[in-house]
Amino acid sequence: MSNAEFKQSEQASEQATDEQSASQSMTVSGESQEQLKDEWTDYQFDGAPKISVEDLDVFYGDDHAIQSVSMDIPKNSVTALIGPSGCGKSTFLRCLNRMNDRINSARVDGSVEIDGEEIYQDGVNLVELRKRVGMVFQAPNPFPKSIRDNIAYGPRKHGDINDGLLDKLLGRAEPEKEDEIVERSLKQAAIWDEVKDRLDDNALGLSGGQQQRLCIGRCLAVDPEVILMDEPASALDPIATAKIEDLIEELSEDYTVVVVTHNMQQAARISDQTAVFLTGGDLVEYGETDQIFENPNSQRVEDYITGKFG
Amino acid sequence: MSYETNDLVTEESSLSERVAAAVVGLNVLSVVMGFAAVFQWTEVESEFFGVSLFNLYGLALVATGLAVIALGVVSRAGLVDTTPDRSAGLLTGGLFGLIGVVTGGLFASQTLGFGVFGWLPIALLFGVGFGVVTVLPREDIGSTLPAGALSIVVGALFLLNVVTTEWEWEPEGFSAAFTGPVVGPVLTIFAGLVCAWAAAKAHEGFGTRGRQAGAYLLVGLNAFGMLGVLLLLILFVAGKGWSRMVEGVKFGLFSEPAFWFQMPGLDQYVVFEIPGVWFYWPFTMNGYSLSKDVMNGVLPSIVGTVWLVIGAVLFAVPLGVGAAVFLTEYAEQGGFTRAVEIATNGLWSTPSIVYGLFGYAFLVPRLGNTTSLLAGQLVLGFMLLPLVLITSREAIKTVPKEYRDASAALGVSQWETIKSVVLPAAMPGVITGVILGVGRIAGETAPILLVATGNLQASRGPQVLTNFHFTSSPPFVANPALLDSISALPYKLYATITAGVVSSDPAFGWATALVLLIVVLSFYAVGIVSRIYFRRKLEQ
Repeated sequence: MSNAEFKQSEQASEQATDEQSASQSMTVSGESQEQLKDEWTDYQFDGAPKISVEDLDVFYGDDHAIQSVSMDIPKNSVTALIGPSGCGKSTFLRCLNRMNDRINSARVDGSVEIDGEEIYQDGVNLVELRKRVGMVFQAPNPFPKSIRDNIAYGPRKHGDINDGLLDKLLGRAEPEKEDEIVERSLKQAAIWDEVKDRLDDNALGLSGGQQQRLCIGRCLAVDPEVILMDEPASALDPIATAKIEDLIEELSEDYTVVVVTHNMQQAARISDQTAVFLTGGDLVEYGETDQIFENPNSQRVEDYITGKFG
Repeated sequence: MSYETNDLVTEESSLSERVAAAVVGLNVLSVVMGFAAVFQWTEVESEFFGVSLFNLYGLALVATGLAVIALGVVSRAGLVDTTPDRSAGLLTGGLFGLIGVVTGGLFASQTLGFGVFGWLPIALLFGVGFGVVTVLPREDIGSTLPAGALSIVVGALFLLNVVTTEWEWEPEGFSAAFTGPVVGPVLTIFAGLVCAWAAAKAHEGFGTRGRQAGAYLLVGLNAFGMLGVLLLLILFVAGKGWSRMVEGVKFGLFSEPAFWFQMPGLDQYVVFEIPGVWFYWPFTMNGYSLSKDVMNGVLPSIVGTVWLVIGAVLFAVPLGVGAAVFLTEYAEQGGFTRAVEIATNGLWSTPSIVYGLFGYAFLVPRLGNTTSLLAGQLVLGFMLLPLVLITSREAIKTVPKEYRDASAALGVSQWETIKSVVLPAAMPGVITGVILGVGRIAGETAPILLVATGNLQASRGPQVLTNFHFTSSPPFVANPALLDSISALPYKLYATITAGVVSSDPAFGWATALVLLIVVLSFYAVGIVSRIYFRRKLEQ
């Protein structure tokens, strides 16, 4: 796309989105608007996409929460999803590991591929999918168990660690393996030094920031490839937030991280590419973070980023 | 005048505040004395410093009534700074009006002896008068004058010896007679409460703060009153049954090391011993005995009750919790789950005799055609089921959704999540429900009367553990003790007090009641300890 085309499209969008001007001028047809949207969200990068979303629609009953979103997410990077409240970014995130299946009224159309494999088809193993695509939630939600049990919970349930009573009786328990997984996960989550002496204390005794890093560690313990984070720092103070942000950047070396955030400075700081959702579940623009924040194509995105709207 | 409305801080209390506090104190004391007399802690005929109890009531009520009126008048005259509202309010007016109707009606019909056409207008006149006096003047007069007047009138009845301990009133149309020893203290409690309320308002200078103080006093006294009644109930039973229950308790030290210590003339099983110490408590360690030398005891009934409860809990808890898990975690929330909820609530309120009748008609013919321990356990289990289901559902619902989300996001299946996260977190709530339910079924008489008991003069309880044995043909296990009729504490108590089957010894009944109380409280203790255990597991 040349610069001139940018200019044109920006004007077109201004007219199309401004209700008054739209009623006055009929220069932009609905078709070309669709085209522009496709161009603005068509982010090109090297290598095969880790996640590939094609024409994704989500409905909650009659409510159309996500409108025909297509985007490719590159491997081992941080992708930020920003947008105003209720724009569908969390819904979109939850489509990537089929957490929306847990909401009865939700209906998902379209295609999501992880490493080229469709996850919305019959015969998908949800256990395997969610092991590969882990999730961290907005509010820290450790189980009311010890720190060790929180981390080992996933591996134990997946049979990666033998820890049952039968295993203990038959001498098949693997305490060393468990220790190893716990230590690795906590180190990766940058909380090992703070909790290594009290692994058997209840996780609810930790501070909010520590609890959130513990939750990240719990997610890492099952060896995911993708980590979805739903506003992971919005319930935390600035220092804890900074720690989580550092952690996200570190994790992006080995994992594909998709993070939803309200905080645009945070998105600008930590992400490699940014997708902007605006009201009505519309993906308006998706591209490199620097480009989105410094030179957005869409007037609406610029308004949103500069705080004029949303 | 220390109570300045414009000051944020009042430093010392004024005379009127001190008077008001004293009035509150004196009234609370009379209320307590009233309760003491109602429940016979003090004799109504007793005298204190040469003054009879009723005259003391009268003195206190007249004095506080006068003081309360004085507080109101002083406030109205502006001699102390207060913040009264324009009126004491319609609610207060209505209540005082009601008091006026009763007072006026009683006075006209009983004292003056008017017929219905005479006393009815007078009663209404009194009611309207009290209401008007309460509502129309400013709050300081409106709430103190009627309260003080009531207190003075009641006090005067005592001081003028109208109501004495010998006084008795048999109103027409009532089969009961109201006697002085009951009416006196009750009137004192009532007038004392009203007067204390008014004085508490006066103490805070009326207005919002005054109403707050008055309400606080009444609510607080109410709470203590309720607790007092419950405590009294237990003390009453304990007082009647204690001496019989602990009669003949002996303990001592071994002189020789022996595993079984043999009391002369007794079976060995009645002797409870720990190495080095022996302990013998005949009432709870003996069964029924024909011998004059051996005291009758309730051991078979205790053992019967314990087995009934254990069986019912083992039957109801897994089923109830299982159903609760299905209804909360798996079933779609909607009409069906709501219908089940209404149905279980209804089952919980089903009268126990209906459960008993069902067991008698359905279970007993199918379980050897005789009343049996097993039938009792099943029927009590049915009774326990709805409560376990209801409380478990509530407990499971309160487990945060975030735990389930977190577990699902790790790829853990729903059943594993329920087993490892949801149920442990819901456990304290489930146990609370079981405790409540056990409290009900352990003392239940009607159903077990029909389905389980019949062995009133048992010399030993059901030997459930020792009777368990294997057989060579199907079903390969047998336990005759489960199919025998038993005795249980509520049944024993019922039989003792109605028919005097065991003995015409009322103390035996009281002691049985006390033992039943202790057994139920022990189940509570077990439940509370396990609840603490599970809660601690969640927190540490």
